[in-house]
Amino acid sequence: MMKKSTFYLLFLALLNWTASFAQLDSINYLEEVFVSDVKLREFSTGQTLIKIDDSVSKLSRSALGEVLEFNSPIYFKENGLGMVSSPSFRGTTASQTAVLWNGININSQFNGQVNFNIISTVGIDEITVRGGGGSVVYGTGAIGGTVHLNNRLHFNQGFKNELFLQYGSYNTVDARYKTEASGELWSLSIAGARNSSDNDYEYPDNGENLNGQFFNNTLDVGLAYKIAPKNYLRAFSSFSHAGRHFSLIRPSETPTKYRDINSRNLLEWETGISHFKSTTKLAFLDESFRYYENLSSDKYSFGQAETFIARNDLEYTGFKDVKLASVLSNTHTSGEGSGIDDNSRNIFSAALLLKHHATQRFSYEAGLRKELTNNYESPVLFSAGAKYEFSSFYALKLNASKNFKIPTYNDLYWNPGGNPDLKPETSLQGEIGNSFRWQNFDLDLTAYYIDIKDMIRWLPASGGIWRPQNEDEVRSYGLEGLLGWEKHIGNGFLRLKGIYSYTVSENQKTSKQLIYVPYHKVTGSAGYAYGRWNFDYQLLFNGEVFTRSDNDPNYNLDAYTISNISTSYAFGQEKSYRLGARVRNIFDEAYQNVEDRWMPGVNFNIYLNLNF
Amino acid sequence: MKLSKLFLFGLLGGLFFNSCSSDDDNVDPQPEPEVGVYSEGLFVLNEGAQAAGTVTYISDDMETVENEIYQANNNDDLGMFLQSMFFHEDNAYIISNGSNLITAVDRNTFEVVGKVDSGLKVPYYAAVVGETAYVTNLAEVIDTPNDDYIALVDLKTLEVTGTIEIDGPASKIIAEDDFVYVQNSSYGVGNTITVINSATKDVVKTIQVNDGLTDMEIENDYLYVLGTGSIETIDLTTGQKVSEVVLTDDLQGASNLEVEDGTVYFTLDNAVYAMEVGATTSPSAPIIEYTSESQWGKMYGFEVEDGRIYIGDAGDFASNGFIEVYTTAGEFVKKINVGVGPNGFYFND
Repeated sequence: MMKKSTFYLLFLALLNWTASFAQLDSINYLEEVFVSDVKLREFSTGQTLIKIDDSVSKLSRSALGEVLEFNSPIYFKENGLGMVSSPSFRGTTASQTAVLWNGININSQFNGQVNFNIISTVGIDEITVRGGGGSVVYGTGAIGGTVHLNNRLHFNQGFKNELFLQYGSYNTVDARYKTEASGELWSLSIAGARNSSDNDYEYPDNGENLNGQFFNNTLDVGLAYKIAPKNYLRAFSSFSHAGRHFSLIRPSETPTKYRDINSRNLLEWETGISHFKSTTKLAFLDESFRYYENLSSDKYSFGQAETFIARNDLEYTGFKDVKLASVLSNTHTSGEGSGIDDNSRNIFSAALLLKHHATQRFSYEAGLRKELTNNYESPVLFSAGAKYEFSSFYALKLNASKNFKIPTYNDLYWNPGGNPDLKPETSLQGEIGNSFRWQNFDLDLTAYYIDIKDMIRWLPASGGIWRPQNEDEVRSYGLEGLLGWEKHIGNGFLRLKGIYSYTVSENQKTSKQLIYVPYHKVTGSAGYAYGRWNFDYQLLFNGEVFTRSDNDPNYNLDAYTISNISTSYAFGQEKSYRLGARVRNIFDEAYQNVEDRWMPGVNFNIYLNLNF
Repeated sequence: MKLSKLFLFGLLGGLFFNSCSSDDDNVDPQPEPEVGVYSEGLFVLNEGAQAAGTVTYISDDMETVENEIYQANNNDDLGMFLQSMFFHEDNAYIISNGSNLITAVDRNTFEVVGKVDSGLKVPYYAAVVGETAYVTNLAEVIDTPNDDYIALVDLKTLEVTGTIEIDGPASKIIAEDDFVYVQNSSYGVGNTITVINSATKDVVKTIQVNDGLTDMEIENDYLYVLGTGSIETIDLTTGQKVSEVVLTDDLQGASNLEVEDGTVYFTLDNAVYAMEVGATTSPSAPIIEYTSESQWGKMYGFEVEDGRIYIGDAGDFASNGFIEVYTTAGEFVKKINVGVGPNGFYFND
């Protein structure tokens, strides 16, 4: 209960924390299960992690974008409900937030981005958001921050099943089933889900959301086998098939749709000898999209890329209080698409990491990474972080890093225009974090600064051909505040969380704020559990955004505030069945997140959650 | 501990307040447009980018400028990516290629009269013969160069009454003496012009022109054709090429052909060039070079009319653009801020 109620986890230097901290429970607990991305908790010194519990993510639609919109400082730009959802994390662009699936970067090879509305949270056991740089460990795109989607596998847990069925406005169906079975030596987890919606909500003035329907089918499988003590084999697979039409602003427009098929597969072998621990990973990712530019014809444009990754993580713990780690990885991608000839690229990378718990109160880490590839000139990347605990009440965190976003397939190979001479976008950035803990109250305040150069933009070149160039420079800075408070009140339990972010992100040439980056974003939630009843409230405030590069205020999109409420009742002897209902946008706020793209008003759903 | 905490708050506070003072640029809000009569002036068509396109009205004396006149007079917008505009009798018609829409408005009040909202697929340009508008449509863009067509729009009913298939791209279109001329090129790729007899609605012939067909113009029964490296003149009464100017190497990639009062105008980058009709060599120096920071929206609109040269600059397409007006002698007259992506000038007279 303590663990689940904690909103964010500071994994760093946890051994130094006094036993009164809730987070310690989860670390002990983690040792009994498998998580692929162990680097996340060991090498985040000086950064702040936001962990989103399963119970919290279930309050949202299954799309990752909506879960994060209500539970992280990331701002999302969404072309209408369920359409393309792209992040701006700390004022950076959509391709400067990396999404890691069990530690593997899954941003698209073609545009470097992730559509957060086609990533389902159903097959994911842990969602963690880490603000700030992470390219040393996670590679391209880890500038604004990283989103970590991890699976857990348990041993000795027997046989468990969970069924979740939800139905709501606009004929929205959300069905999820998960089964877990494990013994002393093995563990298996299978999760399948389907989410679909007609998505034909009415606009505030007139009209309705035409051609907005979507579906998303996912299947996730995890398997672990204990060969011997300190010797494990595990495998994860994730398959998704998503189809979404693009909603029309005017009925006369040409209806279009997208189809995405993604599969991700990871095989890991972990073995420990003496002070060494080696984890060898083989991953195969297949991304494929089709864009139908006119539904009345079956013609489409497409892109397909296959990525093979071979990687070894080696850790050495022979020195007192010191952990040394290396990551060697080779990534081979071959892809083709409409406008892109069949091209392959190979990237070898080596990273070295050091973590030192110097004293009870002080820990620090340092990392270096270099890539070898023929595709671009790869800079040496670094990271450095430190944390000092002044008392059980207050800790200071510092982190600085150099990160990058490599040119994408489109940038390099688009025919005509692809530019093989592009440099990666690079960032130099730093942050100062302050953690306050007092009884049931947690506060994290982080100030950051990011200087990004060589940002890639497509511009016309000779002969009317467009070519990408390393063109723009952006400077982002701001403040993030994370607040958590929880308390037993009588027989009930109250939990409050809040996030505030202040973001300035300006084009260095014009000193203008980037469009679709609000200065202010607030999220809040309140949960109250009393006996068999749960009551939840969610709040989202997105500040005014510019839609014009010259910041002409006549075209700004207004700030908006969305409130959701839900309640549920647990029944059965073990309280293992739950029936609930939700109202989203309860005050029927008329709002646009993107110019001319109205979002839905008040809407409803009911759900049933069975554990057996 | 207290000291370090104070220090940090000081630092954070500094960041926060500095940013507040330096980032709040005060921009004067635009004055509310007056709803007026638009009979004595010109319309600037603003293509639009992230939002619907708009129309700016500028009076003949250039003293009155009103942006977004359609939105001001109607609780509506004109659709995405306004491509072109044409007049017929009391009405003006605005073509939106992104919304497959032609909006008909009263040309003097800009109040909506009706819409053509079916039968169009990425409509581009129109020419009028009698009561029929010939509207070129690019149709599908992916791998389908030969599905372009002309939609025949009855301007009385605003219905598409028929189509004419075009073998190749169909972009600019001009009506002259009961014949309709269709430029078969897109983005400078193509070298033919299709000729349609408006009486029979049949394609009667195809005119071969030089490669890189970029623009065409008809003036006094002569067809002027701008290609990658040449300007050809074709006598429409005989169908014969009567002259050709080969553009020098530094004029390759010219665009925006206009023929007005015996002078041929074209543009390259931020410069306007002019030469006499019938000249045999290309001009050596521009008559106008205007200042633009736009990376791909220079000369996005261009027109010569009644002794004035009009230039539209689209800036970065993510904010409002501007136009500049010059005399045909090259003297600067005025710069006026308009909407996003000004791509055309239409004179209401």
